[in-house]
Amino acid sequence: MKAPVPRPEDFRSPAHTPTVSARLGLWLGVAFGLCFLTGVASHYAQHPPGWFSWPTRPVSLYRITQGVHVLSGIAAIPLLLAKLWSVYPRLFIRPPRRPPALVATHAAERLSILILLCAAFFELVSGLFNVAQSYPWRFFFIQTHYAVAWVAVGALAVHIAVKLPVTRSAFGERPDPDRRAFLRTAWAASTVAVLATAGVTVPWLRRVSALAWRSNGGPQGLPVNRTAAAAGIRVPDDWRLRISWPGATHALSLADLTALPQRTATLPIACVEGWSATARWTGVAVKDLLATVGAPTDRPVRVSSLEAAGLYATSTLPAAHVADPLTLLALRLDGQILSPDHGYPCRIIAPSRPGVLQTKWVTRLELLR
Amino acid sequence: MRTIRVLLVVAGIALAGYGGWLLWPQLPYAAGWLIAGPVLHDALAAPLVGLAGLALGRVLPDRVWRRWVAAGLAITATLLLIAVPLIWRPHPAPPNPGLQDRDYTTGLAIWLTALWAGVLAGAAVSRWRERRSAARTDR
Repeated sequence: MKAPVPRPEDFRSPAHTPTVSARLGLWLGVAFGLCFLTGVASHYAQHPPGWFSWPTRPVSLYRITQGVHVLSGIAAIPLLLAKLWSVYPRLFIRPPRRPPALVATHAAERLSILILLCAAFFELVSGLFNVAQSYPWRFFFIQTHYAVAWVAVGALAVHIAVKLPVTRSAFGERPDPDRRAFLRTAWAASTVAVLATAGVTVPWLRRVSALAWRSNGGPQGLPVNRTAAAAGIRVPDDWRLRISWPGATHALSLADLTALPQRTATLPIACVEGWSATARWTGVAVKDLLATVGAPTDRPVRVSSLEAAGLYATSTLPAAHVADPLTLLALRLDGQILSPDHGYPCRIIAPSRPGVLQTKWVTRLELLR
Repeated sequence: MRTIRVLLVVAGIALAGYGGWLLWPQLPYAAGWLIAGPVLHDALAAPLVGLAGLALGRVLPDRVWRRWVAAGLAITATLLLIAVPLIWRPHPAPPNPGLQDRDYTTGLAIWLTALWAGVLAGAAVSRWRERRSAARTDR
């Protein structure tokens, strides 16, 4: 009769050794570290605490940080699986019976690893479904993905602390050819995964990346996340842009906006889902617009959309973005009048901002304190 | 090193605790998804990898070929996993031009064909090289 549950020594693959686990762990730590830092940065860009201000330069900053975020997550998928295969036999270590102190530390380590794995799998899977804009669950993605990220780094720090001595001695030893082959395979899988998806944000890979969740398509050759139909937009005939600040309100028609001096800027639109594309936008600089109507130009501005409901019906332009001459109330995209899906009659396009905050179908600008 | 380890444990527990506090309101909805990863991996994915490894050892006794085919299988599995949310879409966002408008099945098939062509070529070349260097040492 064979024992129903295997023992660690039953596993014979060359992958099951600390020299392999430690190296995979290091790469995985780098991928998760990048993912965490860029993720927190993106969270702060969208929900800035009082002390934080997202910079307006370089104009591609958000495009880069968010591209790194999704691609490091993709790279981590095969690395995590390889790492877990490397340490899988340890799952079958029989827990000690005594002394109580040893039983307790063993249980605590197992628990910390369970928490780390729950969090790591959850972040990768929920992120992967989110970039594909598919939501087969009932939790609120933004809040949960953010919360579990903190659990993951916390559990990772504990895991590193526990494994530090093993890791150090493992790095002192050079893996044999079979182990190097396993490590090379993990690297290769990670590289292929990144190449297969990086077209979402790297222009020259657009045609190559078969699993990119964005193509070159879209109205006026530029993808959108929310169409005018999905947002339920109907632009009224008497549409006016209202600009208000304490003590004054100003209304401008589309003809008024078109008559103002126009500025053209080449800016990327970069989504939290990691896709990005660059276009040439023409319109009135928000700063110039405010100055023209006599409004202050050194304050944050709340931008409201014609969209009646939805998480992103309004956004707040921080003072730094208001003061930036590249922040436009755009009327044209690549020379053509904005299509309804791109925010006709006018939309905000600002350098280095998350796409969901580039509010479309703008109807009101409100100066905040 | 002891100080570093203690600091890491303390910081780790604090960070994870903060995350747990943030997670609390969503936990009833997310609990199943949180536990599913380790359970599916330990009970399903890892045993399958083990069985595949054993089977590969039987079918391909040659070490060079086994290495290349194992790498091909690992990369194939990675691509298939990444393709899941693009091909299986139970509750997607409203249709949207430019989003998920590629033919993912065909694209995936092309990538897998190219991958396996590369695996076969790579294995054949390294087998040939190994033979040649073995012949040289014999002389």
